[in-house]
Amino acid sequence: MKKAETVVAVFLVLFSLIMVREALRLSIWSSIGPGAGFFPFWLVLGVGICAVVIVVQSLRAPRAGDEPFIPPGAWRPLLVAFLPMVAILAMLRYLGIYIGGMLYLTGYMWLVGRHRWPYIVFVSILIPLALFFIFEKWFFLLLPKGILLERLLYGP
Amino acid sequence: MTLLSVFNDLLYGLGVAMTPSNLIVAIIGLLLGTAIGVLPGLGGTNGIALLLPLTFSLTPTSAIILLASVYWGAIFGGAITSILFNIPGEPWSVATTFDGHPLARQGKPGIALTAAFTSSFIGAFVAIILFTFFAPPLAEWALRFGPPEYFAVMLLAFASLTGLEGGSPVKSVLMTLLGLLLSTIGFDIVSGQPRMNFGLVSLQSGINFIIIAIGLFGLGEIFLTVEEGLRIQGVRGRISFRDLLETWKMFPRYIATLVRATILGFWIGVLPGTGATPASFMSYGLAKQFSKHPERFGKGEVEGVIAPETAAHAAGIGALLPMITLGIPGSPTAAVMLAGFFIWGLNPGPLLFTTQREFVWGLIGSMYVANVVGVIMVLTMVPVFAAINRIPFSVLAPLIVILSSIGAFAVNNQVLDLWIMLGSGVAGYLFKKLKYPLAPLVVALVLGDLAEQALRQSLIMSQGSGAIFFNRPIALTFVLASAFLFLLPALRGFWSRRRGRVSEPVEA
Repeated sequence: MKKAETVVAVFLVLFSLIMVREALRLSIWSSIGPGAGFFPFWLVLGVGICAVVIVVQSLRAPRAGDEPFIPPGAWRPLLVAFLPMVAILAMLRYLGIYIGGMLYLTGYMWLVGRHRWPYIVFVSILIPLALFFIFEKWFFLLLPKGILLERLLYGP
Repeated sequence: MTLLSVFNDLLYGLGVAMTPSNLIVAIIGLLLGTAIGVLPGLGGTNGIALLLPLTFSLTPTSAIILLASVYWGAIFGGAITSILFNIPGEPWSVATTFDGHPLARQGKPGIALTAAFTSSFIGAFVAIILFTFFAPPLAEWALRFGPPEYFAVMLLAFASLTGLEGGSPVKSVLMTLLGLLLSTIGFDIVSGQPRMNFGLVSLQSGINFIIIAIGLFGLGEIFLTVEEGLRIQGVRGRISFRDLLETWKMFPRYIATLVRATILGFWIGVLPGTGATPASFMSYGLAKQFSKHPERFGKGEVEGVIAPETAAHAAGIGALLPMITLGIPGSPTAAVMLAGFFIWGLNPGPLLFTTQREFVWGLIGSMYVANVVGVIMVLTMVPVFAAINRIPFSVLAPLIVILSSIGAFAVNNQVLDLWIMLGSGVAGYLFKKLKYPLAPLVVALVLGDLAEQALRQSLIMSQGSGAIFFNRPIALTFVLASAFLFLLPALRGFWSRRRGRVSEPVEA
């Protein structure tokens, strides 16, 4: 836990260093008063100082009795939730939200819920279908359907 | 501004709220909100952010009625899971678990639920009446605010988030500044030049607040729940007519607690920035301090349910007061609603009272209507709402992920936003685990542009001198109040050391 605290705070320090470079490109003060870089510059400075304080605090904190940041058994469920999200987002152009969502539901229910297959199939078809009607038909929100679904709906 | 005109406006507002379409919108909002409140992993702030894109096709009045009703529903619903399952459905119902769940365990779930809903309703109703009479004069007063006053009010919001949320003050300050910093990405509002975007065109329009909120609160919460492995087991509960009578007979005994909790809750809610969550914790602590039997708290004391619930709902109402009169959110949830104002084409601020009579008074009228309908709904429908928790988490989690993606995409129709949402989700998970408070980040992100504009205009007015915040009486009052709230954690530590005992930690 302590290590994660340090790592996140160090990351925030690095983030402020990058942002301060962006801020310094702008004018901090102009003839009429504060310029475009005024607000960002002082904010970055504040974020940086706070982050440094947290780094120092975390290094000085006792390490004894520290628990791991992510409990050993929690890695699997976390990755099962996270990695498919990344994969589906990366392929969103092809899958779209509806088919992507269907795949995500199926995978998650199978790997985590360990439901029976008829149930999995039923739910993962029902939910995207219901969402399709609610958003596309009822609220007229056009969501990315992906090349796959567009071919299916409107032909090649 | 006479009393009579307030009554006139209120009657008009009730009329607006009672039109069939707005009434239906309120009922849908309450049902959705209660469901959102019941479901762990789907909070009110996130729920409202998800629904925001759906309001694009509604009129502003119906849209605000929908979102406000979701908020009331979520406050009512949060108590159900707290009491029956010992899982707070919402951060503001954490304090309700302390005594609510023990009561349910002792075979009195009906009493705990009735006490929670009734006190929630009383807190809300008194707060709405206060709201009705405070809002118009406050809006009129705020018309005289210049940039320095506005900046000072926003300072008050940030200070109260740091002072009242508890936890590490350094982390609260960092999150406030980070929120403000992220809001500077995009265009400079004064000179119009692109800035802080690393030369990327896709960042030029700035990072949308709603997407970050959905990531931080929605996905972050999902990751946390996934990690903990949600197991819902609890007490079955329904409210019988006898429970109702038995609980209501007890209420006169707790009149002092109710009054204290309502005033405290409303005041904390009105304070810009903080909302129902700190109010419920503080009210619980206060009730325990005033009680003749503090040792009974935590073991199933009815007063321990009444105090946080009354304050939470009063604060929820209070939080909308600065939102509607000043354009400054009174809580993170109000911040999300405020983000909606811009989308619906409204300019938040005191002028709304004169230019958007239907919107403002329709909202106020709907508060009366929705809370009466809401309390009847939850009292009669507990088993229905509790049954929502029988949806397996392995279905719910992916569903929330899909809904979050749809919500985030619909804001700008940009796939890049989905990646930003995913990144914010990971950040939200890390921040939550390391106890960085999320509320200051969200409020700061919404207020960023306004705060910068107010600060820079003030400094231009004063030719660069910061003294402008000290030699204008209203601004000075806000600055002093901010300083007090900001130093509150330090003061609290000092007092408790002098009294030789450690005070209750107030968690966020």
